[in-house]
Amino acid sequence: MNTHVTSDFRPDAVVIGGGIAGLQSALDLADQDLQVLLVERQSSIGGHMISLSKVYPTLDCASCITTPKMSAAAHHPNITILTNTEVEGVDTCDEKHSVRLLQKPTYVNFDKCIGCRLCEYACDTEVPDPFEEGLGAVRAIAVPFTNAIPQKAVLNAEACGTCGTCARVCPTGAIEYDQQPRRLTIRTDAIIVASGFNLNSLNIKPQYNAQHSSNIISPLTLERLLAPHGPYGRVLRPSDGKIPGSIAFVQCAGSRDESIGVSYCSRVCCMYAIKQSMLLSGALPLADITIYYMDIRAFGKGYEQFFQNAKAMGINFVRGKVARIDPITDGDLSLHVETTEDADNPLQERRHDLVVLAQGMIPGWQPSTITQVASASDGFVATPMLTAPTATTVPGIFVAGTAAGPKDIVDTIAEAGAAAMQASQYLHQKRAEVLVA
Amino acid sequence: MARVVNTSLLNTIKKHGAKRNLDVSACFNCGNCTAVCPLAKDSGGFPRRVLRMAQVGMEQELLASEEIWRCYACGECTQTCPRQADPAAFMAAARSYAISRYDFTGLAALANRSVLGNLFVFALFSAVFSGLLFARMNPGQPDLPLFHFIPGEWIHAIGVALFAVVGISAFFGIASMVWRNWRQQTQQGHTLPLSTLPRAVYSAISDALLHQRFQQCDAESAASDRAELPWYQRPWLVHASVMGGFLAMLLATTLDFLFKPIGSPVPPWYPMRLLGAIGGLVCLYGLSIVLLRRAQGKDHPYTKSSFSDWFFPVLLTVTVLTGLACEVIVYLPSPATTGHVLFFAHVVFAMDLVAMLPLTKFAHVLYRTVALALFAWRHAPEKAEVSVGVEA
Repeated sequence: MNTHVTSDFRPDAVVIGGGIAGLQSALDLADQDLQVLLVERQSSIGGHMISLSKVYPTLDCASCITTPKMSAAAHHPNITILTNTEVEGVDTCDEKHSVRLLQKPTYVNFDKCIGCRLCEYACDTEVPDPFEEGLGAVRAIAVPFTNAIPQKAVLNAEACGTCGTCARVCPTGAIEYDQQPRRLTIRTDAIIVASGFNLNSLNIKPQYNAQHSSNIISPLTLERLLAPHGPYGRVLRPSDGKIPGSIAFVQCAGSRDESIGVSYCSRVCCMYAIKQSMLLSGALPLADITIYYMDIRAFGKGYEQFFQNAKAMGINFVRGKVARIDPITDGDLSLHVETTEDADNPLQERRHDLVVLAQGMIPGWQPSTITQVASASDGFVATPMLTAPTATTVPGIFVAGTAAGPKDIVDTIAEAGAAAMQASQYLHQKRAEVLVA
Repeated sequence: MARVVNTSLLNTIKKHGAKRNLDVSACFNCGNCTAVCPLAKDSGGFPRRVLRMAQVGMEQELLASEEIWRCYACGECTQTCPRQADPAAFMAAARSYAISRYDFTGLAALANRSVLGNLFVFALFSAVFSGLLFARMNPGQPDLPLFHFIPGEWIHAIGVALFAVVGISAFFGIASMVWRNWRQQTQQGHTLPLSTLPRAVYSAISDALLHQRFQQCDAESAASDRAELPWYQRPWLVHASVMGGFLAMLLATTLDFLFKPIGSPVPPWYPMRLLGAIGGLVCLYGLSIVLLRRAQGKDHPYTKSSFSDWFFPVLLTVTVLTGLACEVIVYLPSPATTGHVLFFAHVVFAMDLVAMLPLTKFAHVLYRTVALALFAWRHAPEKAEVSVGVEA
């Protein structure tokens, strides 16, 4: 736990969320010589992006792009990072914001911990690794993942049996079993909400029977399977470790579907499915890969070409919404779909080894209940002004990335820069007013 | 081949819908409804293809398709439709539209499109039958037996004439449907050999009587709660009891007409009377569940009800109730004025029911059975050929 930050700290801006949007905003503000406090709920900054294998449409390694940003933020003299910290509320009065923070104990003194991992090696309690979407295991005390920032061990209090081994092996005596939560109130002039997204449940459509088969997986799980440093180091299906020979992507499995209350498009699924199918055809050259789609939304710069490349690579694109998925023998799955391509035989039941459901993007955090920031009808932060797309309903509070609505990494970074620029302009205007007064 | 497109088809069908804001135009043809349907397996044609026909105005193709009659409204498609286009409600509206179009008198269109039209047709028929009965009625004598109050011969005469007229009307309706279907099949190059027709008709009638596909619909629709209902509330059984009860009453009435002297006193255990009474009670059981669930409006196929959805079961219920009352009245020493009124009402309602058969939801007994036969006819020989081809 970082205990250096106190309620006396007066940063120019607080950035909520340490994913790619928050990192970009924080860096852009800090480079303008503004003091930034970056607050992250997880044990490491990096957000969803650091767990991805590659990014579209360039097929760049995601770690190779995200890690330098994380590192730059961590080493920036104008950026202070608080991990394991949640925002309990923001009180706004007279355009001044008080951010109430809850720092959760990590049971490791960050000043003493040197990230040597001796505790992790010594610990004999293992839990499913959240970073690997539960496919691998992680020790009860561990550095969150290989390239996590900060490189500090964090103790999982729910799994720990307090056997004392870690405290005994720690060369610096950093383990503190008696750490307590800390509450801070940080006063600031500007806030950027970059709280990101979650995916809705794999089980949101009961017709897909995801609870009855471990071979119906989340796209984030597939990202880990495809990552070179992933849980298995290769693509295997979860139920029996078989190398999948036939993989299906079911698009719009959690969005554009009014029957589950998510009527909007999640905007990234078409493109990441295409990307993942390309990566899969590299990892599993013999596999048949099919993408079941309603329509392909390849709208960004270079995206249409990316889609055409996938088609040329032999990825099967089948137009039709999958209505039902039934687990059948050998862990395989039967997909019921009406295709519009085969007029003589439109209704088909197709068998696949592994099915990836394109889950819908939903807000990762609901600020509307604990701040004055209003939500839009889709649940994401409302951005009422067309000419200031990063402004929320509260002056001085801005929003960037998927907190404002589904978008991909390219758009998120652009928006994060825009939010930082808007916040900086707001701060300078405010300072000028103070000087005039 | 030239196709005639009716650009107002969608709006016309909407007028038949239970839900006035039935928005089939929201459908973007993803095919979810067809793929999730427990009954579309053997054809792959509905609901999406029928919706598409309506969207692009393929009026003749829609009227020629037997697909709208193959749906039993389990509501699985509506529950899972990503666009909330409500395919199940659309199929119901399309059936109502088809009934209106097959009827050449125009009365069906009047009855199915609006509440006022429905009531007008009902009032019209009621007035005609009341007038006819009044002509030979003997009022003012409370102790007259029912069949002397209104002479039994006169009721029979009206009944025979009514059945003849309705029979002709139903014949033309079915002919309209079969002709469109046959023309379409031959245009598409399908051959319909007469040798397979008897088998197709047999399979359609047995399915209609035994509710085989209706049961399949109940059992396999995953999202709706049909499978969790107690057996005596399953939609297929409810429908079977209404239909079975009705057929028993029809049979009893027909046998009475053929073999029993009019107005001759018989004990309650007289076979035909017993059959009619049991049929009435069974029918009433089914109707009470139908009306209750329609009033609750919670689950498919009862979530959305148009006036015509209510009209037919209510008319049937009233007819059965007054009929059962008459069964009791004949055993009273003197029918009294109440008895006469109930008897009069029963005869008028029963005649209304028969007269409106080709016009209301009741018409499904004709068109669904014929459609099932047409479907079986079209598919029986083809499937044999396909399987031979695969083996070869």
